[in-house]
Amino acid sequence: MRRETANVLLLLLGGCLLKLVWTGDYLRYVKPQHRWWLIGAGLIVVMLAGVAIWRDMRGASVGTDGGHSHGTGRSAWLLLVPALAGLIVAPPALGADSVARSLDAGTRQVDPAEIEAYPPLPAGEVTPMPISQFHARATWDKGRTLVGRQVRLTGFVVRQGERTYVARVVIGCCAADGYPVPVRLVGDAPMLRTLRDDEWIQVVGRYRPPRDATRARAPEIAVDLLRRVPEPEDPYEY
Amino acid sequence: MLLAALLLSPTLSEWFKSAPQLRTGVTVFVAICVQALPFLVVGVLLSGAIAAFVPARVLERLMPRNRAASVGVAGVAGVALPTCECAAVPVARQLMSRGVAPAAALTFLLAAPAVNPVVLAATAVAFPGEPLMVLARFVASLGTAVVTGLLWVRFGKVEWIVERARRRASDVASGERWRVFTETARADLIEAGGFLVLGAAVAATMNVLIPPQWFSSLGDELVVGVVVMAVLAVVLALCSEADAFVVASLPGLPLLPKLVFLVVGPAVDVKLLSLQAGTFGRPFALRFAPLTFVVAIACAVAAWAVFLGGGR
Repeated sequence: MRRETANVLLLLLGGCLLKLVWTGDYLRYVKPQHRWWLIGAGLIVVMLAGVAIWRDMRGASVGTDGGHSHGTGRSAWLLLVPALAGLIVAPPALGADSVARSLDAGTRQVDPAEIEAYPPLPAGEVTPMPISQFHARATWDKGRTLVGRQVRLTGFVVRQGERTYVARVVIGCCAADGYPVPVRLVGDAPMLRTLRDDEWIQVVGRYRPPRDATRARAPEIAVDLLRRVPEPEDPYEY
Repeated sequence: MLLAALLLSPTLSEWFKSAPQLRTGVTVFVAICVQALPFLVVGVLLSGAIAAFVPARVLERLMPRNRAASVGVAGVAGVALPTCECAAVPVARQLMSRGVAPAAALTFLLAAPAVNPVVLAATAVAFPGEPLMVLARFVASLGTAVVTGLLWVRFGKVEWIVERARRRASDVASGERWRVFTETARADLIEAGGFLVLGAAVAATMNVLIPPQWFSSLGDELVVGVVVMAVLAVVLALCSEADAFVVASLPGLPLLPKLVFLVVGPAVDVKLLSLQAGTFGRPFALRFAPLTFVVAIACAVAAWAVFLGGGR
């Protein structure tokens, strides 16, 4: 690859990182804490290309010492793929597809040590709660802290046959390590049947203990209220 | 080309809607690239700094003459430097071209991403009920790095490493330093970046194609569990700061397969394999990766037997 082409590639790549932070789209791929890493990396990549271009324009010849003047192979072209994907398409956050494929695989365990810290929910009011916390309280504690309490969950819709779920994806570092936490919606609200995959909704409801506790399944919530909401800026839970 | 891509973008959006699996795959692919690129940038800056500002004799003084001892020093150096696996590759290569013995540079390559404080802290948080898991991971990963390094001292051949990676670089005159710094970092970034993208694409494909049931049906067969988790660690190429959270919550899986996953992952995965093939050459990568894979599994099993009681 020619030196000039490589510089343009680097400009695109650095620009892509900066653009993802600028628009907030980076939250579709990584944790919010990566923000400063991405800004730093984007600036450095742009600067490395900028300095090379500036030097070439001044006509300073690039020496052959240092052992780094060998031509770069065709593999460098691959940098164009994520650069353009980020700049132009910015693929959406993980959604219904990634949840649907794991619904049959059984639910995740939660370490009891994590849950002991959860205080009882306040009585008589609707408690907003991350879906992962609802999951944790429901799957490990036999739902004791949830019984009789109204909670509010926000997530996207996953439909599988007759069943409808509200779900979120929990990530540890980036979307590649994400795992879904689905909660099945039960009840006879007419809106339940009109929901479609990947729509964002807010659900107010009550935990419904499973009839058959031996099977690892997504916990269920009896729906009291249901409304569509815009996709939140940060689509994941952590 | 830009224009063509812009014109295509509505078509691409349509595609995404009609093929949700492709959409998931592309998201994972971009996520791996976005997550790994800053670490690669740190790596190439370190590599550039070593090339420009560290005279070869300083490194010579730091590293013991004896190659086996230098492997030990390199392993400990890895503990102190919290770098991601992508950052370690250009640094290891730079160390080689500054005259550090290949075995020591390779030990550093394996130790840096696996045994640093950040990774160990993440492991402790992910396994609150099993404090010994952290110790087991530390010992097994450091063991993998040192054993592989010692095996390289005994059996490794310098010719396996591509010539340009081991060419000795001379010290830089003081007026040239900034130029060498930026040029080295730039060249390393372009070279390694392409291979990182390739590795990310493979890992994203596997992420979509592997049915999640694989994870959940492993509870009964310990040996099968170990082998499958080792293979998954290679093909999923998770970041070493996040992998502990992923395995910690897998239902019904014993500790040994989980530990194997945590030890193999940072030492050898498709993203690293691709980076290593690009940096050190294919003959090297084809020997080094299987070696590391086997050593990592062996070290994980040994650490499990010692620290986690073996029987549980």
